[in-house]
Amino acid sequence: MYPFWEVPFFTSGIVIALIATFHILPCHLATGAFWFLVYVERKAVQEGRRELMEFVKRYSMLILIFCFVIGSLSGVGIWYAATVASPRGISGLIHNYVWGWATEWVFFVIEIASIYVYYYTLGKIDDKSHLMLGWLYAWAAWISMIIITGILAFMLSSGKWIETGGFFDGFFNQTYWPQLLTRTAFMFGIAGVYAIIVASRLKNRAVGHELIRTASIWGIAGMIGGALFGLWYLFSMPEHAKELGLQGGLPYLKHMLWAAGVCYAVVLAWFFLCGLVRPKLAGPVSAIFILFILFLGIGAGEGFREGVRRPYIIDQYMYSNQIIAHDLPAKGVVSEIEKYQEAGFWNSLYFRPENCDLETKSGRMQAGRLIALYQCGNCHALDRFGKMRPLPTLLQNIAPESPEDIADFMDALGDYPFMPPFAGDDKDKAAIAEYLFSIIRR
Amino acid sequence: MELQTYLNNMMDPAGLPFYPLVFQVLLVLTFALHITMINLVLGSTFVAIWEVGKKTTYSLRLAKALGRVITVGLSIAIVLGVAPLLFVQVIYDPYWYTATTMSAFWAMLFLLVVTVAFYAAYGFYLGNRQADTDTVSVRWAWISLLMLLVAGLFIHMLTMEQLEPQMWKKWLIGQHGVVSVAGGEFHGISLGRLLHFFIGSLAVTGVFMMLYHWYFRDRADYDPGYLEYVSKTGVKLAFWSLFPAIGAGFWWLGTVPDGFHFASNPFFLAGAIMGVCTTAYIGTASEKPAEKAIFSALALFVTIFIMCCAREGLRMDYTGAHGYSIFNYRVNPDWPSTILFFATFLAGLYVLCFPAIAAFKAGKAPKGQVVSLDPSLGKTAVGVMVAWFAVVAALGLFVSLKNGVLF
Repeated sequence: MYPFWEVPFFTSGIVIALIATFHILPCHLATGAFWFLVYVERKAVQEGRRELMEFVKRYSMLILIFCFVIGSLSGVGIWYAATVASPRGISGLIHNYVWGWATEWVFFVIEIASIYVYYYTLGKIDDKSHLMLGWLYAWAAWISMIIITGILAFMLSSGKWIETGGFFDGFFNQTYWPQLLTRTAFMFGIAGVYAIIVASRLKNRAVGHELIRTASIWGIAGMIGGALFGLWYLFSMPEHAKELGLQGGLPYLKHMLWAAGVCYAVVLAWFFLCGLVRPKLAGPVSAIFILFILFLGIGAGEGFREGVRRPYIIDQYMYSNQIIAHDLPAKGVVSEIEKYQEAGFWNSLYFRPENCDLETKSGRMQAGRLIALYQCGNCHALDRFGKMRPLPTLLQNIAPESPEDIADFMDALGDYPFMPPFAGDDKDKAAIAEYLFSIIRR
Repeated sequence: MELQTYLNNMMDPAGLPFYPLVFQVLLVLTFALHITMINLVLGSTFVAIWEVGKKTTYSLRLAKALGRVITVGLSIAIVLGVAPLLFVQVIYDPYWYTATTMSAFWAMLFLLVVTVAFYAAYGFYLGNRQADTDTVSVRWAWISLLMLLVAGLFIHMLTMEQLEPQMWKKWLIGQHGVVSVAGGEFHGISLGRLLHFFIGSLAVTGVFMMLYHWYFRDRADYDPGYLEYVSKTGVKLAFWSLFPAIGAGFWWLGTVPDGFHFASNPFFLAGAIMGVCTTAYIGTASEKPAEKAIFSALALFVTIFIMCCAREGLRMDYTGAHGYSIFNYRVNPDWPSTILFFATFLAGLYVLCFPAIAAFKAGKAPKGQVVSLDPSLGKTAVGVMVAWFAVVAALGLFVSLKNGVLF
C-alpha cells in the first residue's frame, strides 16, 4: 500500500468530490457552449446580423477565461486529488484506460488550439472558415466527453471487462450510453445558463432578450432531455447499485437523488419563467443564483453516482479501500482479500514502524489506527467530531461492549452490500478492534 | 519488507496495455513539449516585468505582447502537461504515487498556486491593454511570476522525492515510530537542477522574441524599429542566459551520484554538445536575429528534447539503483485501444493544421484585413472529427449489442 493521506474530519474523498463537482460546471460548459455559439454565429453570418457577433465574442471570452483556467486546472485537480486520496484506484483505471485518456488528450490539444484561434481570429478570417473553427472546437470538446464518460461509466459497471479485460468491453458498458446522453443533454442546460448571463449584459437589449429566449429553449430542451436520459440511466444501473440507491439500501442516496431532481426542476423553472416568458428577469444576479443551484444539483447527482458504486471504486475489481476484490484472470490479477487474510495486512505494509509490537497495547493501538486508516479511512473519518461518516459515531450506534464485539463486527462487514470485507488476519483484527473501541463517542 | 520488494509489489497488478518503451518515448516527447511551453511562460513573465521597468514605448509594447503570450502559453502548457502526467503514472507508478501521497498537501496547494498564477497573468494582460508608460501596472505580473516559481518548486520537489526512495521511510516514520499521514513532506530540493530550468526559461523566451520579429517582419503596420528592438533584446537574452543555464546544469551534474557515470551518458553528452553549439549559433545571430530565428528555435528545441532524454536516462539510473525497471512490467497488449490512440494521434495532427494555418495567416495580415482561407481546410478538419465519431459510435454500438448491454 502507498502512504496514506488523512484529511481530518472530512476524509480525502470529500476533496475529490468538491473538485469534481466544481469541475463539472466549466467542463460541461466547455463541451456544450460551442454548439450554441456556432448556432448564433451561423445565424449572424447567414442572416447578415452582425449585431449578434458581440455575443459571440463575449461568450467565447467567458469560455476561454473560465473553462480554460478553472476547467483545465480542476480537471488536472481531480487527477491530483484522486492520486493522493486513492492512488491504487487511479492507478487501476490508468493501467486499463491509459490509451483512452491519451486519446482524450489529443482532443484537448485540438480544443485549446481551436478556441484560441477562434477567439483571436474573430473578424480576421473569412466567416465560413471561422465557423469551421467553431465546429472544430464543438466536436473536439464533445468527443472528450464521449471518451471520459466511458471511463466514468466503467467505474460503476465494468461489464464484460471483468471476464475479458478488453478495453472496449469495459468502456461500452450498460451505463455508458444513457450516461453519455444524460451528460450531453445537461451540457446544453449549463451552456444555456452561461449564455443567459452573457446575453443579459449586452448593450443591445433587444438582441440580449432574443438570445436569452433562444438560450432558454436550449436550456429547457437540455434539462428535459437530461431528465429523460437520466431515468434510462437509473434503470440501466447494475442491480446492486439499484438496491443501494433506489431501493433504500443506503437511504441518504435517495435523498441525494431527490435533491438533484429538485435542483434541476428549479433550473428548468427558471429557464421557463425568467428566460422564456420574462427575459427581463434573467439578469446576472438570478443567473448566478441558478448556477449555485446547479452546483448543488450536480454535487447531489454526482454524489449519487459515486455512492451507488459502493463498495467498489472500480466495479467488481477494486474496493473503495483500494484492495483488489476479485480475480481478473485475463490480466493475471489475483484478489488481495485472501492474501491479506493469510499473510496479514500489517505485515504487508512497507510504511510501518519496524519496532511496533502487536503484543503490547500501545503497539496494537498504533497499528490499529493505521490499519483503520487504510481499510476505512477513504470513506470514514476517524476523528471524534468527524463530519464524513465518522466511525466514532457510527460504532456508537452498534453499542459494542468490548473490542471483541468490534472484531465480530469486522467479520460481518462483507455481509453489508455497501461494505468491503475486512482484509487482514486475526492480529490485524485485534489491533483495529482495540483502536476503534477506544475512539467510540461515549 | 525491502525497498526493492515494495517498489516491485506496487507496480500495478493489471500490467501495461502496451510495451513500456512506447510509453517512455511518449513520456519524454510530451514532457519536452510541456517544459518548453512552461519555460516560455516563466521567461515571458520575467521579461514582461523587466520591460515595463524600462518605461519606453517599445518595451511597453513588448510587455503587453508578452502578456498575451503568458495567458495563452499557460493554457497550452497545462494541456500539454496532462500527457506526461499520464505516462509517468503508467510506468513509474510506485514512485509517482508514493511521492505524491507523502506530499499530498503540497500537491493540492500546487493547484491553487497555479490558479492564482493564471488569473494574475490575465490580470496583467487584460488590465494593461489600454495602459501607457505612466499607467501600466506590473503588480499582477509579479504575483504571477512568484506563483509560477512556487509551482515550479513544488513540482521539482515531487520529482526529486521520487529519486530518493531510500529516504522515504525515514521521512515518513518519525523517531517515535509514528507514521505521518498529514501529506506534508517536503524534501529533496536540488538548487542546481532548479536553476538550470529557471534560467533556461530566459533562453527560450529570448529565442521566441527572435521568432516574433521573423513572424511579423512583413506586417506593414508593425514598426520595424520595434521588431528590431524585440529580436535584438531576445538574442542577447538567449545568448547570455544560456551560459548560466549551462553552468547550473553542471552544478546539477555535480550532485548526481558518481556511480551513475552520468557524465558519459550518450544523451547527456549529445545534449551538452548540442547546447554549446546552439549557444554559439545564437551568438552569431546578434546582427540579424530574425534571419536566424527559425534555426535557433529548432536547435534549442532539439537541445531541450535531448536533455529530456538524458533526464529520463538519469531517472532510469536512480530507479535502477533499487532494482526497478520499467522493462520488468508485465505487458498485456491491448491492440484495439492502442490503435485507437495512434490513429487518433495521427488524425489529430492533421486536424491541427487547420487552426495552425488559420492563426498563421491571420497573424500575418495587417490590422483590418480579412484573410480568406481555402474552404476545404476547415471542411476536411471537421470531417475528420465527424468520421472519428461515426467510427467510434459504430464500434460502440457493435460492442454493446454483442455484449447485450445496450438495453
